[in-house]
Amino acid sequence: MKGLAVLGCLALAATSAGSKPKPGPYDMALAPGPAAPSARGTARLVFADSPFGVAATADGRLRFDIRVTADALPDPATLGAYHTYVAWEVSSDLSDWRRLGTISNGVSTVGVAERNKFLFIITAEADSAPAVHAGPVVLHGTSPSGWLQQFLSHPLFRGAPG
Amino acid sequence: MIRRPLLAFVVIFAAAGALAAQDPGMAGMSMGPDSSDMMPIPMPRGMIMLPGLVGLAPPVAPFLPGAGVDPSTVPLARPSVIVPLKNGDTLDLTAGLLRRTIRDRTFVMYGFNGQVPGPLIKVAQNATITVRFHNRLDLPSTVHWHGVRLDNRSDGVPGVTQDPVPPGGDFTYTVHFPDAGIYWYHPHVREDIEQAMGLYGNVMVASPDTAYYSPADRDVALMLSDLLIHADTLIPFGKEAPDFVLMGRVGNVALVNGEPDYQLTVHRGEVVRFFLTDVASARTWNLSIPGVPLKVLASDVGRFEREEMVPSVILAPAERYVVAAEFDRPGRYPIINAVQAIDHYRGEFDAQVDTLGWVTVDSTPAFPDYTAAFKVLRANPAVSAEIAKYRQYFDRPPDKRITLTVATSALPLPTVQFMSVDTAYFHPIEWTDGMPEMNWLSTAKEVRWILRDDSTGAENEAIDWHVPQGSVVKLRIFNDPHSFHPMQHPIHLHGQRMLVVSRNGVPTRDLVWKDTVLIPVGSTVDVLIDASNPGAWMLHCHIAEHLGSGMMMTLHVDPSGGS
Repeated sequence: MKGLAVLGCLALAATSAGSKPKPGPYDMALAPGPAAPSARGTARLVFADSPFGVAATADGRLRFDIRVTADALPDPATLGAYHTYVAWEVSSDLSDWRRLGTISNGVSTVGVAERNKFLFIITAEADSAPAVHAGPVVLHGTSPSGWLQQFLSHPLFRGAPG
Repeated sequence: MIRRPLLAFVVIFAAAGALAAQDPGMAGMSMGPDSSDMMPIPMPRGMIMLPGLVGLAPPVAPFLPGAGVDPSTVPLARPSVIVPLKNGDTLDLTAGLLRRTIRDRTFVMYGFNGQVPGPLIKVAQNATITVRFHNRLDLPSTVHWHGVRLDNRSDGVPGVTQDPVPPGGDFTYTVHFPDAGIYWYHPHVREDIEQAMGLYGNVMVASPDTAYYSPADRDVALMLSDLLIHADTLIPFGKEAPDFVLMGRVGNVALVNGEPDYQLTVHRGEVVRFFLTDVASARTWNLSIPGVPLKVLASDVGRFEREEMVPSVILAPAERYVVAAEFDRPGRYPIINAVQAIDHYRGEFDAQVDTLGWVTVDSTPAFPDYTAAFKVLRANPAVSAEIAKYRQYFDRPPDKRITLTVATSALPLPTVQFMSVDTAYFHPIEWTDGMPEMNWLSTAKEVRWILRDDSTGAENEAIDWHVPQGSVVKLRIFNDPHSFHPMQHPIHLHGQRMLVVSRNGVPTRDLVWKDTVLIPVGSTVDVLIDASNPGAWMLHCHIAEHLGSGMMMTLHVDPSGGS
């Protein structure tokens, strides 16, 4: 549970520290995890291939490939018995991890992410297709939709039932 | 029944002046008694009203069709009739009042030739027809032939190609159809009222190639729209200017061919070719038929290079898609619109599903049996070969650039406060209107949607672009995500065709000729315009209220040898 709480805090920090790139509907700032404090990265959502120009699931969730630009990721072997970095689309409560692909320093594209809101987490792993995440977090961020905040106390809603 | 909201508006407006003046943030707004039952705007399911806006009303007089007319004297609407026309034929097309019953409530609305949708015109490719338009509305009007590369004089744009046709007036259009596919016609005056009230119809243009599309047992045209209804009334429109201008008017009753409960019966194993047109003012649809495979064949101005299977069909205002569906088992299948609405109050997405109609599949086997052909994804080499001539232009720098943005003034202070923080995130596609009261209060008096020429700074109708006939123009469109109210825009170009060559730098894999392109929030889309048709052609957002607030410009295609 402690690990989950740390991840949650890290993701929140990545969101609030996201002055570059400017928060928009497609950009994610990635923050380093404690195992790779020098790592840097950004990610951009790119609509998955679709004849309609925008891509969506049948229930209306938008579908994106994620173009990751990473820098200063250490050799995964320096972190333990790991050989690669794997990107995950993770539910906000950290209960569901979906593997999107592998990344390395430079530009990598993984996908397809389909959640309305998700955490984007990159871990060091022993192989490129692990069933579950097992290694340390090296970069993490929050989908731009994480900026969708509740307005319970905004003047527009004042007096509304909670 | 149309008098009740009028009375509510009168009460609101009568109470307005002094109260509005008390709050500088309410400039231009009318303010009524603090009673939520005065607010006639229905909320989406599960979402709450905005206490901060209760009692306000937009600064426009209410308008509904047929004011002062005894509804019992207005004819009942009839379903659309197929009208096959040959080259040289003439059609009389009359826009007039009619009565429609929707969910047991009867409204006075509009229609062409007493029908909703208007007559389904079927013509052969390269046919030319004459349409004698008769305006019997209580508003000026015109007819625009959407997507058709026709003679500029018949494009139906007031102030550009003709004067508006006054009530009681007439106008004759000559319409030539150079391209096969599905097109539509609608007014180009106060679309937010006239189109929304039922003035729309399809034109199906048949290729001489009988194998133009992959085979199907039948063709079905579906025109998708919506209506905003509260209790037993239509929500009135702004008389002097459109209301609901921030987002466009998103209805709470979805309609297929003007009906809220569309029904179709087919045989087991039938392949149905649906010709889909989004005629709603603002709604982008995500259509599917659960359990039924869908194959997309074509879009606005012709076929895709390659057919594709799709889980759903995403359709923005004015776009068309031709989609084949295979009904291989008996049963009842809903046609649904499934989207993720945004609940601003709770800061969450909210799955919403509307059932638009039903397809009943009986047990009689279809004949011929096209199910095997349905499973084949055809390539269309003729389409690719024609597009190949344009590939040399794909990677060159843009010739023209426009930015999509918005300017506002005198909106209610709570709206301004809310938007300043809400825009921290905006969804690339807003499927629904989660803030209908706030949207309602925004009229074309306070909100001006903008096409801005990046090179000159000129905006909307001040943009003066001239290109020579026969040129190929690369246009880059950027939808500013940091404006006061970023949202998607379906951008339509009259009288030409265009290719969407890339989105956000990613090349389009499967090309198709378009006349309307959806630009999501924050997106940069490069289109290649085949400027082959001389004349003055509008380029505008096809959200009716955005157009009505000024989001339009004119592209002049100068005849060969022109400046």
